[in-house]
Amino acid sequence: MSKESINITKAVMEKIHHGKIKMRPRVYFIAGSLLTFSGLIASVVTSVFLVGLMRFSLRSHGPMGEYRVDQLLSSFSWWVPVFATLGLFVGVWLLRQYDFSYKINYKVMIVGFIATVIMAGWVIDMMGLNDTLLRRGPMQGVMRQYLQDNNIQHNPGWERGSRRFLKEPLS
Amino acid sequence: MNDSEKLSDEEIVEKVRSNDQELYSVIVERYQHKLLRYATNLIKDEHKSVDVVQESFIKAFVNLNSFDAGKKFSSWIYRIVHNEAMNNVKKYPKEVPLLDGVDFQSDENIENDFEQKETVARVEKCLREMPLLYSEPLTLLSIEEKSYTEISDILRIPMGTVATRIRRAKILMKHICQKNQ
Repeated sequence: MSKESINITKAVMEKIHHGKIKMRPRVYFIAGSLLTFSGLIASVVTSVFLVGLMRFSLRSHGPMGEYRVDQLLSSFSWWVPVFATLGLFVGVWLLRQYDFSYKINYKVMIVGFIATVIMAGWVIDMMGLNDTLLRRGPMQGVMRQYLQDNNIQHNPGWERGSRRFLKEPLS
Repeated sequence: MNDSEKLSDEEIVEKVRSNDQELYSVIVERYQHKLLRYATNLIKDEHKSVDVVQESFIKAFVNLNSFDAGKKFSSWIYRIVHNEAMNNVKKYPKEVPLLDGVDFQSDENIENDFEQKETVARVEKCLREMPLLYSEPLTLLSIEEKSYTEISDILRIPMGTVATRIRRAKILMKHICQKNQ
């Protein structure tokens, strides 16, 4: 047995005996898992809402015409995608910090996450859940603020396209 | 201690986690040679690899409760060493020297067979000249005797990628070894 190997055993076991290193309790990892999971769920919910908000914005301004695009870009809150990107990277970093030992395909996870958010945002929008959010949901305040800032009038009874739509900007 | 040596890694980990922390030395003894050899193949520095392996054992102990006993401990500890070694390589990119004939003493059967030992030494020499991307999976396959599934778990890459890298590594190996002869 090499000298280095003996030293490794000795060094590691001495640290354990002297209490210099301690095993993290199981509850630490359970709490970590729950927090990470809750964080992911929260970021999915937030992102879904933001995708819905973007589609809502496109609809209310009209998808065609340079003026309307400029208007949309000028009124768009650019901190939103920055926040979403940052959130995604921080989430993945946290996962890497926590789960350092098992195989996770991060590329698939990120692509899957983005696809899920876009699909969910689209489905929620198509189902008209945005209106529910606007009237009663937890994002009521944010949505109302957005409408107020962009001078958009909302009529919950109206339908989009053939079914319901939101009114053009008043200005 | 003899009884504990008959236990599987996962069984020992369960005992260490429940109350018998002393048994962790069995795990350290069981893996230190293999991990030292693996780390040395990655970072090409005997002294740094000792630090890397020691740090990995400490990290593994601290996070032992996060280990899923339903999985292979071997893949878990190799993964930790891989991460530590990669951190070391990134930290000291220009300080990685090429080793000449460094080997670790071991009482494993593979070392008793002269022919195998010679082959391993030649393989290790050629591996040192190969990019890490290809040398690592080949090291795990040919020297550490890991399966494709285990290599996939350790390196966190799909099985297809493992197969591709090993195939390319073998071609590279052939070129390098022929050049060295």
